[in-house]
Amino acid sequence: MRMQLSRSARDNLTAYTFLAPWLLGFLVLTLYPMIYSLYLSFTEFNILQPPQWIGADNYIAMFGGNDEVRADPRFMNSLWVTFRFVFISVPVKLMFALAVAMLMNQKLRLIPVYRTLYYIPTLLGGSVSIAVLWRRLFAGDGVINQILDLSFGIQGPAWISNPKYALSTLIILAVWQFGSPMIIFLAGLKQIPDEYYESARVDGAGPVRQFLSITLPGLSPIIFFNLVMQMITAFQSFTQAYVISGGQGGPLDSTMFYSLYLYLKGFGFAEMGYASAMAWFLLIMIAVLTAILFRFSGSLVTYGSGE
Amino acid sequence: MKRSVLMALALVVGVGMAFASGSQEAADSQGDGTTTIRWAYWGSGTRVEISQAAIDLYEERNADIQVNPEVSGGAGDHFIKVDTQIAGGAGPDIIQMGGNINDYVSRGVLLPLDQFAGNELNVDVIDDSAIQSGTIDGTLYGVSTGVTMPALVYNKSLLEREGIALPEVSMTYAEFRDYLVMLRDNLPDDVYPMMDIGAMSSNSTPFGYWSRYNGTPLYDAERNMTPVTAEAATRYLELFQDYRENGLVPPADIAAGYAETNADTSAIVAGRVAIGYLFTNQLSGYQAAMTDELALIEFPGAAETNALWVAPSQFYTVNLNSEHPEETVKFINFLVNDPDAALILGNNRGASASATARAAGASSPADQKVLDYLEAAAPHTSPDTPRVPNDTELNSTLYLIYQQVAFGQLTPEEGGQEIYDLLTRLIEES
Amino acid sequence: MTRRTRTRLSRAIANVIIIVLGIGMLYPVAWLVSASFKESNTIFTSPGLWPTAFTLDNYPEGWRGIGIVSFGTFFKNSFMISGLSVLANVIFCSLTAYAFARLRFVGRRVWFTIMLLTLMLPNHVTTIPRYVIFRAFGWIDTILPFVVPRIFATDAFFVFLLVQFIRSLPTELDESAYIDGAGKFGIYTRIILPLTVPALVTTMLFSFLWTWDDFFNQLLFLNSPDKYTVPMGLRLFLDSSGISSWGPMFAMSVLAIVPAFVLFFSLQKYFVQGIATTGIKG
Repeated sequence: MRMQLSRSARDNLTAYTFLAPWLLGFLVLTLYPMIYSLYLSFTEFNILQPPQWIGADNYIAMFGGNDEVRADPRFMNSLWVTFRFVFISVPVKLMFALAVAMLMNQKLRLIPVYRTLYYIPTLLGGSVSIAVLWRRLFAGDGVINQILDLSFGIQGPAWISNPKYALSTLIILAVWQFGSPMIIFLAGLKQIPDEYYESARVDGAGPVRQFLSITLPGLSPIIFFNLVMQMITAFQSFTQAYVISGGQGGPLDSTMFYSLYLYLKGFGFAEMGYASAMAWFLLIMIAVLTAILFRFSGSLVTYGSGE
Repeated sequence: MKRSVLMALALVVGVGMAFASGSQEAADSQGDGTTTIRWAYWGSGTRVEISQAAIDLYEERNADIQVNPEVSGGAGDHFIKVDTQIAGGAGPDIIQMGGNINDYVSRGVLLPLDQFAGNELNVDVIDDSAIQSGTIDGTLYGVSTGVTMPALVYNKSLLEREGIALPEVSMTYAEFRDYLVMLRDNLPDDVYPMMDIGAMSSNSTPFGYWSRYNGTPLYDAERNMTPVTAEAATRYLELFQDYRENGLVPPADIAAGYAETNADTSAIVAGRVAIGYLFTNQLSGYQAAMTDELALIEFPGAAETNALWVAPSQFYTVNLNSEHPEETVKFINFLVNDPDAALILGNNRGASASATARAAGASSPADQKVLDYLEAAAPHTSPDTPRVPNDTELNSTLYLIYQQVAFGQLTPEEGGQEIYDLLTRLIEES
Repeated sequence: MTRRTRTRLSRAIANVIIIVLGIGMLYPVAWLVSASFKESNTIFTSPGLWPTAFTLDNYPEGWRGIGIVSFGTFFKNSFMISGLSVLANVIFCSLTAYAFARLRFVGRRVWFTIMLLTLMLPNHVTTIPRYVIFRAFGWIDTILPFVVPRIFATDAFFVFLLVQFIRSLPTELDESAYIDGAGKFGIYTRIILPLTVPALVTTMLFSFLWTWDDFFNQLLFLNSPDKYTVPMGLRLFLDSSGISSWGPMFAMSVLAIVPAFVLFFSLQKYFVQGIATTGIKG
């Protein structure tokens, strides 16, 4: 009994030693800013003057307001825009990334070149040049419409400045920059031992069987990681929408992402308290969705450690 | 196992210590008697170079002063940085300020400069109007770096190519509409006569002009209310609805593609419209992004109503918590009044408002058009009025309402009411 | 069809698909490169792919930077920050990930959840308290705000990434090493690190790229122009109240993606190797 106790104590000591840098960093560098922003979410704070405690008014304004607090319809709109963006772009991007990763996992001589070229769109990130490029592609007289006109005689709309289509150009951009999940998938594919495939081939399994019975289960922790992280990042999408709409989320707020509106509120309109409330609502929302994903992952994700 | 744990620990502590000790040095660098002035501004290429040249000259004359320029690429970046610094208790000494100066005064972060006027700061040689524009509620907070004016800009080369008569500098609204109709009938199909100037992110300026044209500024600071009525705002929206329906400005979805925040999002640079709007200090930037020649005319109706105004393009303001206010103001005085500094700085921050600086400064040929325009339009101006509080929110929300009308989601009546509500709310909340 | 011709055929098809898809993907990139060879006053007026007025001047002009500081300095500063971030992330995120993935300890679930939560708060609302902390430490206008947090594994993304990779490794390997007398740290260095090379390479690549691109934090924490970085330098070409240097901006944008491009290309070979479970014992 005594032996066991001291052993688990020693295990704890070892683990916390490994964990020490992260714990220290969390307590010193991360915790205070988080708590402080939670406090700010209950205040009116114009950045330059001390925050004023206003209770839950910021949260009330976000969800319809009441007699004293003015409702904020732009908030609800930004939430809706972001939901549509997340639920379309994440699955499409992940499927595309996985397909390309498998394409890039073949033993072709030029593979290093191909991989690098496919990664370039991601390298461009959210730079000004992306904004110029995207307008050039999706404007009324842009490249896409020229192609549509030449090949099908269709007169396309001004995709990027039409409220009906503007969001889809940003979804296309997100999918186009599929490099990060692709690389992670590629790393995951490399980690599946070759002999698994060899023995499957010996058993006469075709490519589809191999994919379903080896690749998918072997890759499941990585698929799960990409799903969770892409969801978190997509909810916080900011830069691309910011540069393309010139920080305005237009036309008609159709690309006013949650984070973009948060930023506009916090720094533009000098309502950092309200922005903090938005940030904490986003945190709670993402946390709930992540928890649901973790719950579901239990039966679908196979870990090497058998957990 | 013990050893491995110890190794991990030693690694962490060791690297941590190495960096912690490095940080101590960075903390205290002062102590040799020199005073460092931190000068935060926004700008690019030329402005950075000439500002540094002015700093070098000043440091040469004042060996105990060091000026650190903290330059950001645009006003947006600049203010986020400055706000964060002030909130963190480490604001710069000189803050370049724009149309939002009132917001910073009302939040109490700027130093009143009256105590320095006549001493460190020679105000006698600065134009009265420039002093006036930097004075808020009777207190001087900002020293104007130069002046600018809203204007319409047209593509001169395009009109000449198409054999179309150039517009008059001064027109009435009726004459202006006729001119637009004439343009529509003579321009190529994919070029519209004018940009939909409400559908851009700095749209409070054209709307503000139109309000002044009707005799009502957007904001009456003394009574803390807006003289603009919902009906008047409706008429503004109807004016452009008429232009839109008659093909004088682009349809809503085309116009929305050009935010006119810079040359890359400009319809006039892209060659999609013949007439646009800008502040005169933007002309050289637009001109540098295109081969066609641009020229300036007044907003319609300015000659009858004197509704145009000379605006300060930027201000130098001082952080309330500056540790060296006197040295800072002395340096500002050097920047705006010193003849040598004026020669170096030119009209980069707007046409200078200082008599001594103007006497010394020779403007570049590119600025000549701006100076000509400023001179021609000068009789058609009246004094600037205080800005509506929370400049950014005004522009952003006005832009949204205007677009809702343009895309047909709101009628001009509904839009006019929303504009009125917006103005009233922003004024109340301040 | 013999087996050989069949593999040849499928390879040819794969090549074709990759190339066709690639052209569509790369058109915008080609436009960017072409824009860097255009005169500034034609970039937006004749936006076709081929330059009408070809010039090489944008590169030397852009390299001059903002006149008082050359673009070379921005590159040097960005390399410094990104390089150190890569180093710190690879070491400390993997240590932390190892603890979360393989070690049993009280509070593991709670800490893991908290670590994930730190990823979910948009960082725009934590800038002010972070600024206050960094200022208290005297770190403003130094590279420390970008490097020191990485030593404390604050990039939870990489911790989570490595946790997932470590957990997908078979535990028998750890056990056999344990039987051979290896301690926890021994298992980490001899089993876990070599087997997670693809994930570590991914960590390096993303650490580099994301630090390289991180404009917002660099804007807030760096004050002196000679300490500015590449993304800050790119923004300094553009000013709506003055003259924007579009050509040089595009030229430097092209140069700015070269380091990550080279890094990526040279790290390729570490993706090539699949793991062989039988090879590593003891």
